[in-house]
Amino acid sequence: MAKYVVKRVIAALLSLLCLITIVFFLVRLMPGDPFTSVKLTKEVAANMKSYYGFDKPLLLQYATYLGNLFQGNFGYSMKYTNKTVNYIIGQTFPFSADLGIRALVLAISFGLVLGIIAARNRGKKLDFICVLIAIIGTSIPDFIMGAVLQYFFGIKWGLLPVAKYLGFEYTILPATALAFYTLTSVSRVMRASMLEVVQQDYIKTARSKGLTDFRITWKHQIRNAITPVMTIMGPTVAAVLTGTFVIESIFAIPGMGKYYVESINNNDYAMILGMTVFYGMFLVTCNLIVDILYGVADPRVRIGKR
Amino acid sequence: MKKKVLATLLCATMAVGLLAGCGAAKKESDSGSDSKEKVFRYAVSTEPTTLDPTKANGIGDNEIQHALTESLVRNTAGDVQPGCAESWDVSDDGLTYTFHLRDGLKWSDGEDLTAADFEYGWKRLLDPETASPYAFIGEYIKNGLDVEQGKKDVDELGVKAVDDQTFEVTLENPTAYWLSLIGSSSQYAPLRQDVVEEYGTDFAATADKNVYSGPFKLTGSENNEYIFEKNENYWNADKINLDKVQLTYVEKPETQLSMYEAGDLDYVQVPSAYVPDYEDKSEKFTNGNVDYCYINHKSDNKALQNKNFRLALNYGINREDYNKLANSSVHNAFNGLVYQGLQANGKTYGEAYKLDSYPLAGDNDKAKEYLEKAMKELGVSKASDISVELTTTDAESSKKIAEVVQSQWTENLGINVDIRQVTYAEIYGEVLPKGDYEIAFGGWGADYDDPYSYLELFKSDAAYNYSQYKNDKVDELLNDAKVQTDAQKRMDELHDAEQEIIDDAAFIPLQSRNIFYMHDERVTGLNFYFCSLNFDWVYADMK
Repeated sequence: MAKYVVKRVIAALLSLLCLITIVFFLVRLMPGDPFTSVKLTKEVAANMKSYYGFDKPLLLQYATYLGNLFQGNFGYSMKYTNKTVNYIIGQTFPFSADLGIRALVLAISFGLVLGIIAARNRGKKLDFICVLIAIIGTSIPDFIMGAVLQYFFGIKWGLLPVAKYLGFEYTILPATALAFYTLTSVSRVMRASMLEVVQQDYIKTARSKGLTDFRITWKHQIRNAITPVMTIMGPTVAAVLTGTFVIESIFAIPGMGKYYVESINNNDYAMILGMTVFYGMFLVTCNLIVDILYGVADPRVRIGKR
Repeated sequence: MKKKVLATLLCATMAVGLLAGCGAAKKESDSGSDSKEKVFRYAVSTEPTTLDPTKANGIGDNEIQHALTESLVRNTAGDVQPGCAESWDVSDDGLTYTFHLRDGLKWSDGEDLTAADFEYGWKRLLDPETASPYAFIGEYIKNGLDVEQGKKDVDELGVKAVDDQTFEVTLENPTAYWLSLIGSSSQYAPLRQDVVEEYGTDFAATADKNVYSGPFKLTGSENNEYIFEKNENYWNADKINLDKVQLTYVEKPETQLSMYEAGDLDYVQVPSAYVPDYEDKSEKFTNGNVDYCYINHKSDNKALQNKNFRLALNYGINREDYNKLANSSVHNAFNGLVYQGLQANGKTYGEAYKLDSYPLAGDNDKAKEYLEKAMKELGVSKASDISVELTTTDAESSKKIAEVVQSQWTENLGINVDIRQVTYAEIYGEVLPKGDYEIAFGGWGADYDDPYSYLELFKSDAAYNYSQYKNDKVDELLNDAKVQTDAQKRMDELHDAEQEIIDDAAFIPLQSRNIFYMHDERVTGLNFYFCSLNFDWVYADMK
């Protein structure tokens, strides 16, 4: 197991280095530069370029960047002057992560329950209802879900705050809106996987042994069916926890979602790199954890990998 | 079956529990607000890029600094009043200003504010080491451009603190709008050298890493919330009514509107798409932004170098219909270059001068007449043989504008119009500066209250001559206006330059922008301006 983990960690670090290198050179190919604005004069642009070291050879800039990165320093944002990318991530990530965790808890718990209910009632009314919820959730984009929740609960009925993120009651609407899509994908995967497991011989064996329905579902079906759900959880956790552009902007949450999109529009090189590397690290870590968890949920995976 | 029912019930109770819990919590927080403290709450949809006054980049940053800094004079919606300077003398040639600072000026931390703080702040603006994105606003000062380009030492800049209370400035040219400019541009704020040097590159990164000279001091700048509190050390603190201002960065204008509807904001701008729904409840101001299409006068497309063709393009647009279709009539159809609300020797520019331009409703007969002349000169037999490319950004609103213009030209003139969409970074990074376009949608907002700010874009040697336009008459008029000390004559020259630019059809005017807003009825004393900043709440009050 230890060897397996070490191997995975090294692979993860290598892929991060590739990611940094590719992104570093790719962003320079984008049209324009970080200092584009309506009122920028040539003189000012030249001063700003030398301030950020863009007048130096590109390879030297790359080396400098890597050097700083090893010390955990993402550099200064070029759009938000005097602020470091570390500071911005430090400020915004806790909000995104907080919202993401709430959404995930909602999504996983309700998603699994819906998937299990649907699978156990295959072809019946309850299955139909669960599948309907899943279809609605998949087909309604989160910005519409967010806006609808905001309108009814925030403005029309005045039950919950419209926007901002100042306490528990502020988290409910955005977390629900964010959870919806994940919830439906979890429930769909869970349902399909449960139905597959039901066909297996060991379920028949369990049934012929005279085990109760509950015991069969709980001990044999769910545990075996949950592996595919874990597979989709790796990237989902990374994506949800590092901020979502749409939900955060609708509910005015000071998270990091907007910086991904905006940094590219602004050609804010340091920010694009910082965000990508941060997200990359997160994704790689999540996938690593999932890989290890496979082994916990299903001992056969562990043996197979040896 | 029982289990199913149980599971469903469980879900339902959890959901209800969540909702019930928070409903109660909200009521408590509502009644908690202090009734005596005057707190004004508003939101902006562009995140401030910096809290460093020297590096303020555009209207959003400048609006914040307008409350936090005090320059020598203060410009409130065009009314220029003494600020840190109590009085000033101007030399006869209009080049040297001697400012006399008030007694007992203090920074928010209690230290004395002196002329040296101005000298330091202004030098820092032009110092290439600072790399301020707005350094060009200091080019009026003697040797400003040379210092900015590193050709001269910062110490050669035409500013000098004669003693603690006397500050002397020498300009490159007698600039009529100079005082109005420094009164509304935070880049001209005084700065404390010890504070700037203490924090280095982290200066003003957060509210606590700076000291303040203005009516308010910043006490919070985290999590998209900026807290301003009244600065008791401000020389004119008696005139400041608000105790606290809470500015929230809320990216989506629709969310701002929802927050206003829910009572979480005291002021909100109505997003353009919602203006028809809120017309009765809202008020409007013009923000001085004029939108038009640039014509590239050096493009490979020969038709655009033909004056008659350019005239045909201009007469071939019904700007009233355009405004309805492209903007739902939120803005004003406009056929000039200079915003009409500028000051022109005691009147507004629009009142003082009547521009002879293309009719707002267009003129198809004239358009066709010019088109035929142009076709003869170009040796083209069919109008459909002429194609022009219209470049615009990929923003939804710009796309709509381009499509309306396209359909009018196709219909009224019979020419081909292709639309090319690029990103914002491309249009200002490559397309316009490098002249890589035929016709491009853009626009301009003034940095100072003077027609020159708009006209300069058509001066052949100007940095912003995106049209690559050269007209000797315009150049001559504008060069003369730069040194002309007779205010009336100068304004006449500027108007003549605008008229010549219109007669020559150097560009294609379209619209002048309106901003609709609403505010809580308790709020009074809000000011609106059309250059450097739009929204000025410094003197606001809550009844």
